[in-house]
This record gives sequence, C-alpha cells and structure tokens, in this order.
Amino acid sequence: MVVMENEEITHPAPPLELQKPPELEPRQPIMINVDDVDFCYGAHQVLFDVSLEIPPRAVTAFIGPSGCGKTTLLRCFNRMNDLIDGARISAGRVRLEGRDIYAPEVDVVDLRRRVGMVFQKSNPFPKSIYENVAYGLRVLGVNKKARINEAVEKSLRASALWDEVKDRLDSSAYGLSGGQQQRLCIARALAVEPEVILMDEPCSALDPIATAKVEELIYQLRENFTIVIVTHNMQQAGRCSNYTAFFYLGRLIEFGATSKIFSNPSQRQTEDYITGRFG
Amino acid sequence: MPSESKHTLGTFEHALENLRNNVMMMASQTERSLNRALKGLMAIADDEEIDQLEKQIDKDGIELLLRFQPVASDLRRVVSAMKLSTNLERMADQATNIARKARKLNKHPALPEILLLTPMQEHAMAMFRDSVDAYVREDAQAARAIIPQDDALDKMNAQVSRQLIDRMARDPEQLRGYINLMFIARHLERVGDHATNIAEDAVYAAAAEDIRHQQVAPTPA
Repeated sequence: MVVMENEEITHPAPPLELQKPPELEPRQPIMINVDDVDFCYGAHQVLFDVSLEIPPRAVTAFIGPSGCGKTTLLRCFNRMNDLIDGARISAGRVRLEGRDIYAPEVDVVDLRRRVGMVFQKSNPFPKSIYENVAYGLRVLGVNKKARINEAVEKSLRASALWDEVKDRLDSSAYGLSGGQQQRLCIARALAVEPEVILMDEPCSALDPIATAKVEELIYQLRENFTIVIVTHNMQQAGRCSNYTAFFYLGRLIEFGATSKIFSNPSQRQTEDYITGRFG
Repeated sequence: MPSESKHTLGTFEHALENLRNNVMMMASQTERSLNRALKGLMAIADDEEIDQLEKQIDKDGIELLLRFQPVASDLRRVVSAMKLSTNLERMADQATNIARKARKLNKHPALPEILLLTPMQEHAMAMFRDSVDAYVREDAQAARAIIPQDDALDKMNAQVSRQLIDRMARDPEQLRGYINLMFIARHLERVGDHATNIAEDAVYAAAAEDIRHQQVAPTPA
C-alpha cells in the first residue's frame, strides 16, 4: 500500500491516567503476637527482631531455606524450645491472645494443651489407636469413659480418620500407614481441644495421596483452629495457607496473604526464593 | 517486579527462554505478514507457519506449568506468553483477511481512496510494535501508554468509514472497491484491539496488575 498523508485523520490522544480503586483490608483480631523477638541457642543467635501477627481461624505458613529460623519460631509458640539447653528468647515476647506466654505465672502444660503440635515424623505412642487419642485427656485428669469415648470419636472424625479405623480402635497404632499415623497424631492433638495447632513439615514423609488427605484436613480444620505450618513444599504452602511468612537468615522478610506472596511478592528476596533463584 | 537473577534450575530457565523466543519469533512473523498483506503480497502459507507456532507455544507453556509449577513472575511470564500467542495468531488472521481484500483490489485499477487508510495502517502497526516491545522489555509503563491509543485508532476507523460511504454515494460504480477498503480499515482496527490486549498482558507480566476492562475517561473529540 502506498503511503500518503491525510490531513483529516485525528491524531492519537495523550495517554490517560488509569484510576485504581483504593484497597481496603479489614482489621482482624490476633491470635499470636510476636513482638521484636531475638532467639539464641547459647551464644548463637538464630532469630533477629522478628515481629508477626498470626490471625485466628486461618492457616499461616512459614517458608524459607533450611536454617532460616522458621521451626525455631514455631517452637517458641508452645515453649518447646524450653526443652533445649541454652535455648532462649533473648529479646521481645510472644503473646497468645494478648498474654505473654513466657510470663512466670504461665502453666506450660496448659499452654501446650492450648497450643498443640504435630511433628515432621508421625510419632504415635506404642498403644492402641484409641489410647493414643485418649492419652492427652487422661493426662489432664479426664477419667469418665463416656466423655473420653465422645472425644476420641470427635477427634478421629475431625481428622478424617474415623471411617478408616472405627472397627479397629483397639489395634496398635503402629499398624496404620504413615499417612494414617500422621492423621492419628493430628487427632491426638485435637482431642484436648487446642486453640492453635502447630505443624512442623507434617507431610514431608508422606506419599502424594496421604499428603492430599492431610492437606484436605488442614483446609477443614482452619474453620475452627488457628494453624501454623512450617513447610519446604512451596506448592503446599500455596494450596493450604491463607497467609505466608518468608524467613531468611533468621529474619522475617515478608508476611502477607498467600495469594499475594505467590503471585506478586513485595520483596526481591521472596521472589527469588519462591521462584527457585536461591535457597 | 520480575526477577532478573538466574534460576537455580537451569532446565526451567532454558524452557522459559525457549518459550519467550518462540513468542518473539511469532511476533516477528506476524509483523512481516501484516506488512506483506498491506502490500498485497502475502501468501496463505505465512499464516500456517504462525498457526503452528501458536500450537507449539501452547504445548510448551502447558508442559512448563506441568513440570515446574512456576509461581510469581515466572508464572506470569508463562501465562502471558500463552496469551500473547493467541493475540498474535488472531493478528495474523487479520493479515490474511487484509491480503485477500488487497488481492481483490489489485485486480482493478488502483483507487485513490486507498490512501485514506495509510494513517490507520501506520497507527495500527506502531501499536503492534510498541506492545510487543513493551512485553519483551517487561516495561509496564510503556505498555500502559499503548491502551489509550486504541481509542484514536477507533476514531480513525469511524472517520475513514464515513469518508468511504460518502464516496460510495458519489461514485456507485466503485462500490465493490470501497467496500473492500472499509473491510481493510476494520481489520486494521482489530489489529489495534489485539495490540491493546498484548499491552494489557505485558502490564500483567511486568507488574502483576490486571488492567483489562477498566473504565477510562472518554477522549475529548
């Protein structure tokens, strides 16, 4: 086509500014407050000035490379680190529903009832399925058979295990598959009616089907519990959690809605980690 | 905020690079097709090559999602590459349509009104080049600047149509030729729409922002 000027044609308009609606974020009550926490193993500091607010009835995932301090912080929430010599919070505090959990008057056994924990490797007791779930209640002094029966069934149902084990409650827990053992440990944690459940890589030793069942369970449990999960599996954090915190070298780099962290993180270090550019 | 550092997984880096190279190759073939069509030279075979590239980009993109489950800027890069290829393929279809009309026009003595289309052609091709360039450079600001340009192209199309209708009334013997010219103007206007889509995808890839279907203030007449 031959090129020729045409004086009647309108010229392009200058670019227009696009209006963006303001983003409103509703305020939520906080279940766990982490205020400027430093943590040391002896002389070795592993957490630096970490501040974080964990919302209730939601799943919060902690991600980051090995040694970044995510498990250490998780274990601060029910004072599991108290069991390690020389391990201590050297500055800052951790509050559960506003109350300092390291205050001298805090009953650690009661704290661990309120803040349950599920570990990387399932660790059922060498007892029957029934006794595993009933164990925590017995420690708390509950002896009524009917009350324990009710709690065992409720917990096994809540952990999506009831249908698989209801006919063999007296069998050894060791007879269950790895995935079932992990869900049994979740049922054991649920039996004492905690408010918070901490999970330290709960699926790392499970096959994909067992992992899917535990993830489905986590999804359902978030309606009634506050869940904090440490995971190395980025896809798992993306699937299960509402909020994600990224840690690097003992510092909290970024914390926010999981959809934001995995689609458009604000920090370059987060972007580099989740896209596999370091770590 | 797309990352510029190297991915730990070299195979992913390589696959992503390959995908983007195919998009760029498709864009350059589409540009060549449009230019040739506007000169009335394009063979239909050009379009087939572009169709095959679209299928290849889709296949590679799906495989990348399946194998690596990318997130953040990596995910946006894959998704936008796949969306870009769809728009490029549709632009190439417009090139084929323009070529067909041009061939019909070339069978008869040239109409002087053909020159009415020149500014539209230049504007549409500039939008196309700028949108692909913004995508390749991951430049959200440059991509945003393309969006309002589509309004101008729409206005040019409306004006050319009015002028051609006027000519039709005055010279009904050339009706067939004028109609073909109106079709070409319409195809150029569609090229601008696809360039706008590419610019929107470029903003998404670079800034994680979805700017499609937003209300903008009307351009002063």
